[in-house]
Amino acid sequence: MMISNDTGLMAHLLRRAGFGATRDELEKYLALGYEGAVEVLLNPSEPNNMPDDLIRRYHVEQSELRDIAGSAAYWMYRMISTSCPLEEKTALFWHGLFATGYAKLNQARSLLNQVDMFRRSGMGSFEDLLVELSQDPAMIVWLDNIENHGSAINENFGRELLELFSMGIGNYTEDDIKECSRAFTGWTLGNAEYMSIRAAKDSIWPYGRIAWHFDYREEDHDDGEKTFLGETGNFNGEDIIAIIAKQESTAQFVATRLFQFFAADEVTEYGEKAIQAMMETYFSSGYQVRDMLRTLFHSDYFKSEEARYARVKNPVEMVVGAIRMAGSYQNPALGIENVSRNMLFMGQGLLQPPTVEGWHEGSEWIDSGALVERVNFVAKELSNVKSPGVRSIIDRLEAGSDAGILDPDELADGCLDLLGPIEVSEATRSVLVEYAARLGNLDLKDHLQGDLAEQRVGNMLRLVAATREYQLA
Amino acid sequence: MTTNKREKSLIVMQLSGGNDYLNTIVPYAEGKYYDSRTTVNIPQDRVIPINDQLGFNPSMGPIKALWDEGKVAVINGIGYQNPNRSHFRSMDIWHTAEPDTIGKEGWLGRAIRDIDPLGENVLTGINFGRGLPRALACPGVSVASVGDLATYGLFPDVQDEELRMFTLEAFSKMYGGAAGRDPVMDLLGQTGKDALQGADILRTAPGMYSSTVEYAPDALAQNVKSISQVFHANLGAKVLYTQHGPFDTHSGELLSHAKLWNEVAGAIGSLMEDLKEHGTEDDATILVFSEFGRRIKDNGSGSDHGSGGGAFLIGGAVNGGLYGEYPSLAEAEQIEGDLRSNNDFRSVYTNILEDWMGLDAAPIVNGQFEKFDVFKS
Amino acid sequence: MSTQTKSPGISLDYVKTIGIVNNGFNGRGFANPYDIIADDDGQIFVLNRCDPARASAIRIGICNLDDEYLGEFGRGNGSGDGQFNWAVAMALDSQGNLHITDEYNHRVTTYTTAGEYVSHWGTPGSEDGELNGPAGIAFDSADNLFVVDQHNSRVQKFSVDGTFIAKWGSSGSGDGKFNLPWGIAVDSDDNVYVADWRNDRIQKFSNDGKFIAVFGSSGQGEGQFQRPTSITVDLEGFIYVADWGNERVQVLAGDGSFQLLLKGEATLSKWADEYLASNPEEKAERDVSNLTPNLPAHLNTPYHTSSQTEPYFWGPVSLTLDNQGRLYVVETNRHRFQVYQKR
Repeated sequence: MMISNDTGLMAHLLRRAGFGATRDELEKYLALGYEGAVEVLLNPSEPNNMPDDLIRRYHVEQSELRDIAGSAAYWMYRMISTSCPLEEKTALFWHGLFATGYAKLNQARSLLNQVDMFRRSGMGSFEDLLVELSQDPAMIVWLDNIENHGSAINENFGRELLELFSMGIGNYTEDDIKECSRAFTGWTLGNAEYMSIRAAKDSIWPYGRIAWHFDYREEDHDDGEKTFLGETGNFNGEDIIAIIAKQESTAQFVATRLFQFFAADEVTEYGEKAIQAMMETYFSSGYQVRDMLRTLFHSDYFKSEEARYARVKNPVEMVVGAIRMAGSYQNPALGIENVSRNMLFMGQGLLQPPTVEGWHEGSEWIDSGALVERVNFVAKELSNVKSPGVRSIIDRLEAGSDAGILDPDELADGCLDLLGPIEVSEATRSVLVEYAARLGNLDLKDHLQGDLAEQRVGNMLRLVAATREYQLA
Repeated sequence: MTTNKREKSLIVMQLSGGNDYLNTIVPYAEGKYYDSRTTVNIPQDRVIPINDQLGFNPSMGPIKALWDEGKVAVINGIGYQNPNRSHFRSMDIWHTAEPDTIGKEGWLGRAIRDIDPLGENVLTGINFGRGLPRALACPGVSVASVGDLATYGLFPDVQDEELRMFTLEAFSKMYGGAAGRDPVMDLLGQTGKDALQGADILRTAPGMYSSTVEYAPDALAQNVKSISQVFHANLGAKVLYTQHGPFDTHSGELLSHAKLWNEVAGAIGSLMEDLKEHGTEDDATILVFSEFGRRIKDNGSGSDHGSGGGAFLIGGAVNGGLYGEYPSLAEAEQIEGDLRSNNDFRSVYTNILEDWMGLDAAPIVNGQFEKFDVFKS
Repeated sequence: MSTQTKSPGISLDYVKTIGIVNNGFNGRGFANPYDIIADDDGQIFVLNRCDPARASAIRIGICNLDDEYLGEFGRGNGSGDGQFNWAVAMALDSQGNLHITDEYNHRVTTYTTAGEYVSHWGTPGSEDGELNGPAGIAFDSADNLFVVDQHNSRVQKFSVDGTFIAKWGSSGSGDGKFNLPWGIAVDSDDNVYVADWRNDRIQKFSNDGKFIAVFGSSGQGEGQFQRPTSITVDLEGFIYVADWGNERVQVLAGDGSFQLLLKGEATLSKWADEYLASNPEEKAERDVSNLTPNLPAHLNTPYHTSSQTEPYFWGPVSLTLDNQGRLYVVETNRHRFQVYQKR
């Protein structure tokens, strides 16, 4: 099967900067050219996602956002309906990196406010993002900055800010952690004591949850002189972040993490060149994440064969990608929280990363329990011939055929093409063709919804969705 | 590795939501209990007495019958220091045996890794219900999650059996083939083969099982029936896990708590009868636990999140009886209006791991804990 | 304290709050309530829509103004007799039967106020008498039943047993057209008012569907609406509107002129007091907290403000009056209702 270079590259970009693409979307981006497509993705405008008022009208659980299941479904709706996929993908990236979890907070609305913040600031300056993160109420509770007082510091946030959120271990001392923590004393939330007790005992009483906002308590802030990474002054949190942002190790950290999420699970020597270029952009652009991503998407590495299918899809990509492809759930639907729960069954519950280290991505997504869930979900979604997206695939297969007749090769190649295009090994392809050949040529002339001819397409899509190659992005 | 010797299994029944221990093992001789529980109490004349101080909730008839046979160990006053009253966090603590920091590995996930370090049997640990409880999660440990035993495996939504067989065959071919140069593709291939194999084996379990015991239609009893089927199929399943709930009885507690315990006690009663019928009573132990107990004082309709709960170990190999001291209701002994736990939950884990499963407990539960001695030697 | 501008011909005094979140399956408290009715015997019926985790306990709870929880009825979720999936609204007929709409099952279900299931009717579709997403429901003085047929963009008029009488409306934003309409009310002259939800306005019709007037436009100003959900009209002709998207209640005069607005001023209910009495350490911190905080700019929307300000309405989805001039406002996201007395 020949896949034109442009089409294959665009599909690759959309798997990374988005959740894959239907053929309609792919054609829309192809018309912009690669550079134009990158710019559209990097500059989100109106997302045209499912409107909040509609969601709230039908889903009381997504209006109140008290429980985790409805809250995860709420974000999933946004992911499956947005026309600015990189905005959501970037939010997901930061959610995994600055991993804040429901378990300790019991406050999903505030977690979703954090996700809003990632949308607002996630492609801007990394320095600004760290300031917003340090003022984010969910983070303040998650890493105990609520317990970080001028009179007695709690180092949890200060430590992770340096270790997990910016420079990485080995680039600072224990004293730096202490001084950093002192600078964030007094960064807390409104009604901190009451909210803390509610979070700790999971209180929803008497009238449901109360969401959180940032509060700076000057009287609880340690305004004394601090020495951090060799610089001395009466630093507050913003000053510390300014020092962090200009470190080489921070550039290395941000570039590498972006690379691993958007380009490849493993960093090769070739990939290292892209990371170097991103680090240069980090400094030349004033720490702009958007510019770093532009550098990545235009790098030789990203466009190379080596980068193709170099990531294992995470569960969110599996679920959201399949739903977007099938075009299902375009209106508020009863039971949607059970759909989004599939991500949890595959090992990635939105808003509930297991620890502050986030999820272990890459090949760690794959174990036999998770693989069964991954294959079953996608296979079911993509074999449903009633879904608008699958109907459109059937129509395109017919339109592209000779008088509605597809031989087994054409059926297999057509499905691989329209679900991606996806490139598969010759061994995989021959199984697909053999499967198609069981019932001979497919006649799609005058097909009717749900008839045997359509179902044969559904069966082929099911099998493509079950390939090893489909597990990769 | 298969042997003919039947190996010992642990069946875990998690009561999610915070079971009200005070209304489960009722201190019915305590005036303080009735003073604090003005609305949400079990009247003295309805309690099933254990002794002149404590009694079972009236919905626990089948458990009382097992108690009389000496097969029920009640572990009183169980918990951990600095109790956390959040469902998620407290459950996490029970699952990871790590009260102070956020743990990364489940205690049973670690146990499974110790039992089967090379991951030779994908059915060593099985959860009955979708998703994976944190207790079973451990990097590199594969655990099957069985939503419905009858349709477990790949492509359960394909109704047409012939089509499903044909699709599975194609899947098998696509995931087969010699190892290549790409480690991720190889991993996927091996995992796909494991998944197929696990499903094939699991699906044989119901066919190998027959019993005169009729399980109730509720979800828990049906999951417990699946547990019995898999356990009796001798597939090497050592940890079989399920959960039931919600025990989060803030309102209308007397009604909902009674219903839940009817179901739990009924399922346990059926399972024990089933084991007896198969002559396997001494080969399985049931652990019943919940993430926390509830407030001493009721709220006029139910009870709120508290601390200090109870756990149960049930089975033919168990020395029945009361273990651990029942926490005092005296105000001076309370911890922020809750029962103060006398016993660390990791003492129970240690007892199970060492004396039932034959494992080294300390690295699994993150330390040395004085253990109970619940099992017959 | 209601915000009153100009010199309105009406004022409303806050009386009390009743409710507490119920996260179980039975008993005192409410679970995402969607509608409320007070009958002439002092019974207050609250329709619990319930979130999916608790859907098996979709029910109508009954209480009175003395905070007594009197009981509940319902048969859980599904499409069997007496069951609901997405229950929306209730109306009481002159015989004392409750009629409840279900926008997922496309039907109207009748229970007695004693909680006995009577019957259900309704067929999905767009022909006369068929329903597609029935929402608001109301009776006139002759026991004619008006149902808002939201996805068919119309109002249908039925006899009390569901026999089709008339219909009006189509999709759009002009006079007499609707965009996902929701609530409905009938005044003492049997005129009909519809909350034209996605057009952010109220429309007034004669009993047989002639367009009379339109009130309101999109916005956050006085007399403007964001997704109004529910209406009730008192004997003097004042029109009370649940301005859901603005998290407030507005009162208009019969000519549509703005009179006053309520933002909510909930206090602790008796049930809430009992909860806090058994959780004294939580109460201690609560007592010294500021429950009406100033929020940063990015949270300065009605929804976010209400999510952080417990006394304010949050999800004020429906309102009703009793025969003593008391106004009841029920809040989905706060699981309670607030009572106001007209003066």
